[in-house]
Amino acid sequence: MTVPLGAYIAVSAVLFFTGCAGVLVRRNAVVILMCVELMLNAANLALVAFSRKYGSIDERGSVFVVFVFVIAAAEVAVGLGIILSAYRNRPVVDVDEIHQMKG
Amino acid sequence: MISLVWLIPAFPLAAFLVNGLFGRRRLGHMTGLIATGAVGVSALLSIGVFLEVVGGKTQTVVSLYRWIAVGDFSVNVSALIDPLSSVMLLVVTVVSFLIFVYSNGYMAHDAGFYRFFTWLSLFVFAMLILVMADNYLLMFVGWEGVGLCSYLLIGFWFERPEPYYAAKKAFVMNRIGDWGYTIGIITIFLVFGSMNFLDVFKRLEESAPAQATLTLICIALFFGATGKSAQLPLYSWLPDAMEGPTPVSALIHAATMVTSGVYLVARSMPLFEVAGPSLQVVGVVGAITAIFAATIALVQFDIKRVMAYSTVSQLGYMFLALGVGAPVAAIFHLATHAFFKALLFLGSGSVIHGLGGEQDMRKMGGLRRKMPVTFWTMLIAGGALAALPPLAGFWSKDEILGAAFANGHLVLYAVGILTAVLTAFYVTRALWMTFYGEPRDHHLYDHAHESPRVMTLPLIALAAGSAVLGIVIGFPPEQGFIHSFLAPVVEAGGVAEHVPELATIVALAIVSILAGVIGIAVGFSMYVRHRPDPAALTRATGPVYRILVNKYYVDELYDHRFVEAARAVAGASWAFDIHIIDGLANRLGWALAMGGQGLRRVQTGIVGNYALTIVAGLLLMLVAYGGYAAGILGR
Amino acid sequence: MTFDFIEPVVFALLSIGVIAGGVAVVMLNRITAAALLMAFTFLCMAGMFVLLGAETIAAFQVLIYVGAITVLILYGVMFTKFSDSPRALFFQKQTPLAAIFVAAVAVPIVVVGTLSFTGAPPRAGGGDLPALATSVFTDFAFPFEIASVLLLAAMVGAIVLTRRDDPDEAAMRRRR
Repeated sequence: MTVPLGAYIAVSAVLFFTGCAGVLVRRNAVVILMCVELMLNAANLALVAFSRKYGSIDERGSVFVVFVFVIAAAEVAVGLGIILSAYRNRPVVDVDEIHQMKG
Repeated sequence: MISLVWLIPAFPLAAFLVNGLFGRRRLGHMTGLIATGAVGVSALLSIGVFLEVVGGKTQTVVSLYRWIAVGDFSVNVSALIDPLSSVMLLVVTVVSFLIFVYSNGYMAHDAGFYRFFTWLSLFVFAMLILVMADNYLLMFVGWEGVGLCSYLLIGFWFERPEPYYAAKKAFVMNRIGDWGYTIGIITIFLVFGSMNFLDVFKRLEESAPAQATLTLICIALFFGATGKSAQLPLYSWLPDAMEGPTPVSALIHAATMVTSGVYLVARSMPLFEVAGPSLQVVGVVGAITAIFAATIALVQFDIKRVMAYSTVSQLGYMFLALGVGAPVAAIFHLATHAFFKALLFLGSGSVIHGLGGEQDMRKMGGLRRKMPVTFWTMLIAGGALAALPPLAGFWSKDEILGAAFANGHLVLYAVGILTAVLTAFYVTRALWMTFYGEPRDHHLYDHAHESPRVMTLPLIALAAGSAVLGIVIGFPPEQGFIHSFLAPVVEAGGVAEHVPELATIVALAIVSILAGVIGIAVGFSMYVRHRPDPAALTRATGPVYRILVNKYYVDELYDHRFVEAARAVAGASWAFDIHIIDGLANRLGWALAMGGQGLRRVQTGIVGNYALTIVAGLLLMLVAYGGYAAGILGR
Repeated sequence: MTFDFIEPVVFALLSIGVIAGGVAVVMLNRITAAALLMAFTFLCMAGMFVLLGAETIAAFQVLIYVGAITVLILYGVMFTKFSDSPRALFFQKQTPLAAIFVAAVAVPIVVVGTLSFTGAPPRAGGGDLPALATSVFTDFAFPFEIASVLLLAAMVGAIVLTRRDDPDEAAMRRRR
């Protein structure tokens, strides 16, 4: 009895939207960044599952995943850099409080 | 000479251009000489043309150039020289010349001297175009031109408000009449395919268009004539036009422009004769206007106003003549009236000039001792106006009344006789108040002086014309020179005017003379012997008198009815413009601004909101995809 | 006794771990706990990769996510202090609206996704390192190079962003 593909997709989707909800809901910028990572992970899972199920050659799916890793890492680094430099300006990490771009 | 006929308007035009362009710098009085000289040359040429027409060239068309040629519609600038137009040319140029001479003296101290002669020259040019034109459209050019010059000259002293208002009123009323004229000529073109007089009359004979259309044309043209010739209902501009300088009143509003309506109807007689009741309308309107204006003239105190209403009344006589089928009589009266009315006006001007600007007769009196030449010439003119034989006015007016009687229009005849009585009365009154009796204002009287020779010589010339013109061209009645001269042109075979027998003629003449004498006698009695006393009579007839003095309140009526209505429409349009059109534009702008303001609120500056928007977009795409897949949206 | 039942059970456990971790990240107030539970999620994720037969990927997952990224996040948590507003709302103002939208989007996708893909079991074997490496360095060499440039840029960017202003340089900049 094997696990059907749909199950993996379900997990991936649920995780993805949980992360999405987190981005929209949490105030703390760092937490938002964490939720973004969750979303990326969910995407990775979906990719791997599809590539293992459907791909005649599944290297391409895996290559894509590798690149997602790379980009996720870069993004976290830069994102944290932004948060820290903003924090230096005003010691606020609350997303709702940063609205100088209003209007 | 006839081939040179286009030189006749060319000289006044040249004078206009020269005076207009250079008049201000050339020191004053050269402009007067230039203008007078130009008109003088025109007068000489007109005499030459007239003699040639008398000699036998009864219908010549002298073309200048092809003006409009569009498809079926072609109009040329060409002149029709026939007895009617040559008579008009003569009258216009000769009387104009005399008035020009006079103006050199009258306007000598006026700062706008050059401007006066500029406009006056332009006027003569336009009037000549009107008279010489061989088609309705070219005539309209002249028609409009004289209207324009009338406006310019009435409002000559524009530093005061009254002349400006009077000029505006004159122009607007003329314009209203012009609307009728335009409808008339457009319909003529639609029906006859041409605006040329000769073409129209020829086609009228060949194919008879519908009565209704012809009546429409004639009534429309006549409406235009009422505007130009100050008949009811468009007459009230003429008394106000007295705000202009007296030579203007004499030339434009007595001798020439106001007669162009009469000329129009006379020229279009072939149309009027076959167009049902149009001639009746002309006659009735003329008669009513005649007596109406005469009643108002009875009680006016401004000497020029009396003359203005008298002009309206006499023009009414001319239209009456046209209406009863005596167009020759109408033109005859036009010619004699030009002389004696111009004289009356110029004489009034001489009086006003001598009194330093006073126009109110109640302040005059006894001036015959101080201004003899003026007095005697005015007396002759007054007699002509009152139709006393052997002066010119008698022959022409008597012929009109005779024609009315002989053709069976007894009511109109009675009206004419009554008006003659009134005319004689008011002219006596005017002359008496001005020249006889004790001076009512001694200060004015002491400073009164006779006018210089440049002004009195034209008076004498006009007086000579008023005296003998009637006999020279109109005797014997119905068979004089002018009848045989003009009859072929204006009586186009339709109306067979039967020459009444001698007894009738004499009887009618006696009645006319009697009417005049009665009028003079009553005037004499009232003003010399004060029986009845004018002041007492005024009090006794209280309300009637007031109605007359206030000119039947016609101006107030027009103001209330038409001017207020026009103002209301203008106000409504303005409100529409401000509130609806501008409002639309403003509201649009406001709406856009508000829209912008509203849309602005999307930019909260909070990043989370933007992320939410992304998810919302995703939702939208999902819905769209779902709809597409389910077949609801698109195929 | 067949051990066929093991796979679904492991899958169930792992998926519970993943989802629970995710929910915890979203809901927990204490950031440190959230960060560590995120790491836990990553680990379970690695397990799922193994279950799918992509061991290399699982290794990378552990290395990069559990290793580097979690540490970075913890550093971020360490350097920033969440403002102690008395409202102490850990959730944004737009929460209700956001929840609605996300639910609206999530439910259909999850349902459709689950139901659409029934079937083929994963292959056995495969997904091994040599094939992956060859692919990256030959077929996908260009993206690989670009990825390196990207990492370089990210590095430089992070350094520049977090650099403290040199007081002399700041004064010079102000004078200009």
